[in-house]
Amino acid sequence: MKKYMTAILLIVAIFTTVPLAAQETLKIGALVTISGAGASWGQNMLRAAEMAAEDVNSKGGLKVGDTAYKVEIIPYDDGYKSNEAVTAANRLVFEDKVKYIVGTVGSAPILAIQPITEKNGVITLTLGFTSKALMPEKPFTFRPNLTTGEISQPQIDWIVKSQGLKTVGALFPNDETGQQIAKDVAKAYKKAGAVMTTEFFGRDRVDFIPLLTKLLAAGVDAIELDGNSPVTAGQIVQQARDVGFEGIIIRTGGPATQDIINVAGKAAAEGLFVHSGIDLAIPGVAAYQARYEKTYNAKMNGFSPYFFDGVNMLFKAMQIAGTVEDSAAVRDALAEIKDYPGVLGTLNWTGKEKYGIAHQIDAPFYVARVKDGEEVIVARCNVNVCK
Amino acid sequence: MTIAHSSSSRPESLPPWVRRGLPALALAAIILTPFATGGKFHFHIAIMVCLGAMAASGLTVIAWVGQLSLAHGAFVGLGAYTSTLIVMRLGAPFFVGPLAAAVLVGVTAAAIGTPLLRLRGVYFVLITFALNELFRLVMLEIPSISGGSSGIPNIPPASFGSLILSSKSDFYVLALICLAGVMLTLWLIHRGLIGQRFAAIEENIALAEASGIPTARMQALAFIIGSSIAGFTGALMAHYIGFISPETFGFQLSVAYIVMLVVGGRLALCGALTGAIFLTPLPELLRGAVEYQHIFYGIALIVVLQFLPEGLVSLPTRLTNIGRSK
Amino acid sequence: MGFLISQSLVNGIILGTLYLLMSIGFTLVFGIMRVVNFAHGEFYMLGAFAAFFMVTLFQLPYVVALGLSFGGAIFLGAVIERIVFRPFRGDELSGMIASIGLAMILQNLALIAFSPDPMAMPSLASGAFRFGFLIVPKSRLLALGASAGILSLFYLFLMYTRTGRALRALVQDQEIAAAYGVRIELMYPLGFGLGVGLAAIAGAMMAPLFGVSPFIGETPLLKAFIVVILGGLGSIPGAVLASLLLGLIESFTSTFVSASAADIVVFALVVVVLLIRPSGLLGQEDA
Repeated sequence: MKKYMTAILLIVAIFTTVPLAAQETLKIGALVTISGAGASWGQNMLRAAEMAAEDVNSKGGLKVGDTAYKVEIIPYDDGYKSNEAVTAANRLVFEDKVKYIVGTVGSAPILAIQPITEKNGVITLTLGFTSKALMPEKPFTFRPNLTTGEISQPQIDWIVKSQGLKTVGALFPNDETGQQIAKDVAKAYKKAGAVMTTEFFGRDRVDFIPLLTKLLAAGVDAIELDGNSPVTAGQIVQQARDVGFEGIIIRTGGPATQDIINVAGKAAAEGLFVHSGIDLAIPGVAAYQARYEKTYNAKMNGFSPYFFDGVNMLFKAMQIAGTVEDSAAVRDALAEIKDYPGVLGTLNWTGKEKYGIAHQIDAPFYVARVKDGEEVIVARCNVNVCK
Repeated sequence: MTIAHSSSSRPESLPPWVRRGLPALALAAIILTPFATGGKFHFHIAIMVCLGAMAASGLTVIAWVGQLSLAHGAFVGLGAYTSTLIVMRLGAPFFVGPLAAAVLVGVTAAAIGTPLLRLRGVYFVLITFALNELFRLVMLEIPSISGGSSGIPNIPPASFGSLILSSKSDFYVLALICLAGVMLTLWLIHRGLIGQRFAAIEENIALAEASGIPTARMQALAFIIGSSIAGFTGALMAHYIGFISPETFGFQLSVAYIVMLVVGGRLALCGALTGAIFLTPLPELLRGAVEYQHIFYGIALIVVLQFLPEGLVSLPTRLTNIGRSK
Repeated sequence: MGFLISQSLVNGIILGTLYLLMSIGFTLVFGIMRVVNFAHGEFYMLGAFAAFFMVTLFQLPYVVALGLSFGGAIFLGAVIERIVFRPFRGDELSGMIASIGLAMILQNLALIAFSPDPMAMPSLASGAFRFGFLIVPKSRLLALGASAGILSLFYLFLMYTRTGRALRALVQDQEIAAAYGVRIELMYPLGFGLGVGLAAIAGAMMAPLFGVSPFIGETPLLKAFIVVILGGLGSIPGAVLASLLLGLIESFTSTFVSASAADIVVFALVVVVLLIRPSGLLGQEDA
């Protein structure tokens, strides 16, 4: 008798609980650079998305309306190449049928895939620094991280003033990202009262001594490293110190400190001025960094928390809009989020003046100085000023 | 295609209609697959196969005179940029683009071909390699024309008057027609006098020269035809993908065409097509495992070179031969 | 201005010597086997990884790491010659295509094994020596000295040992060499092994300077191509001349014009040389 009772109870239990736990899958594409230059940024973006997905999945799924969605991240590697990004985008949009993509890392790749994603109403969260990525004609693209456009002026103002810089030599790769950053940074230095000379070089160059010789001869006060991939930046720092450059080295943007230290060594990297999005005094971001390092057994790159927050904002937008299918509704909900409490701090969208559409994240950031292999915050900033 | 053995003296071999018909049927099935499944991504793969086959077929023509070009990617790129600029900057209608591309690339090949083709074998490979790199570097340096490293986005899709081929299934039809055109061109060359002369040069250039064939002119002709096909393909590629940049047309692309050619069959009429069919969809089977895919290409290349030097197209003949010799 | 010129000269000579070490193996392989080895750069890369792991993981002294990389590469090269290249002896084009396949295999194996992230090998020396107003980074001087040492040893080997002479004979004329009793079956694997061994030791040596990742092979391959085209495929004195020339051109053009100009000038020069004098500055006239 008891056996039958438990069986009946079990069957009843199954039939009553199953409808409540209707599980569907929400597919989110991750079109990032996993190999080659920019791989560390791409991997960090991917892992941020995975951790955000893990958070909601461990609680039974992302609850949107009556349905709990299991979030599945589908990764593709674009190798920082535009044509591979296009192939991957084709696959994500038409075969995997995703409506949301985390990516791309590079500027040229995002411009290449936007014709596909915008036309098919796919929301993209891109890291690409180019100002052409955000415009009113591309309403489905969002940028959850800060770019040189946002951070350079306040940071450079502060550094020029506090260090009394008059001349700066800059080394940039001559690709879309490098050229965009060169424009932004040169403008910022000029406005701050310093003169910047630029040397462009081919992406795969490893020997910078002739260029550094040129800068040494010109007697620059500081060398600007922004826009270079982390390892290239490290090599430039190492070679600059080898060649006897004793001035200040600055990296206005693009988190790369750990890689620079790995390549150039602690001694060469000492005193480096860098941009940081992270204040470890804020518990949220410290916890995120600890979690990242524990889960992946690797050091976290500064872009990762931006995308963790970005993906979570996307989830929130879906919940507000009450749908995961209608990407236009989600897009509108996402754009309307204000004062979002992310791990980095309070986040808002900005950019209406600069890009014509407010899809650029506004987050607090900092100027840090490298002391004994660690970043130490020396100034706090918002898009207007650093103190 | 491989030379058919007379079947009357060997009763156990397959009748010609099977030998010809079976591959044709297989080909037709492959061609029609995307229409059957309707999947947009399948159309994409099919289009990429067509474009790859077309470009690699151009390489075949050059291989017919015994030369291996590592500049093919650059010629594809030159055609792509030509068509893009003519259509976007000069406002020409689409159909002018690929034709202008073919012509411009052909003229370029004619101009540089003569001094280039004096080099044989390895030296020719090296100079075409250098040219490929030079093309990429120069394109990066003239952003006002080429868009520099960010490339040129938003290239208008193929269109004929009011008929805009913006969907993949529509473009596939165009791609098939163009591929058929290229294959027809190759077939006409192959069975004609020119093809015979090419073959003579490929076999033994000194002998060919001695027997009165104008080898230099023939080689230049092959180079021009092959490169024009590449340029034409590049133009189509540009209008299909909608985006081009100098990085797309570098050494890796040239190598990809060589892999297709060698694995499919270096001198065979359908070698390039076979290579393209087998190699282009591979990324889909080995999704996400890009490195394994490249290792597979490398191994395939070495294995084919060692054991199947005439490429995959010779496989059926080889197998029937093995069967027969038992 | 005086500083710039003399410093560029110094930079150019140092760079040239490094390029020579990168390319000498390539020209040797072509000279002996008539194979354009597209996988040359991958052996450089493997040498760099080997040195990296030996020094950082196994705490071996650097010199030991160099020696082991060299020896390991010779062995690997000999094995690969037998498996991959032997069927193509006499068929230059096929051998070359096979080497393209080999390059793809090696690079992607490295990608799978080591991940694409570049790793930093600690520099043996940092800072610079100053001679008057000339600056010579210590790490580079070290590399320069070691390269000069290796190249000298190699030169002595080629000139004064029996095997070395046999290899040179093969480079000069294969048929006659065979007629004189040079054992091809032994010399080919040895020659190839030596060629890629030199690439590996170059990689091991420059790992602290230029970093370690599966992609670092592309640059040495490119430089090797340029050096052997300019200097002559198979000519070792030609390689010496051409590497120095290349180093100086790059150094001066980068410093006085721009880095991208340097790249274009070099490639344009390559094209011109191939058109006017395909056998290079000091190369053998090809049949």
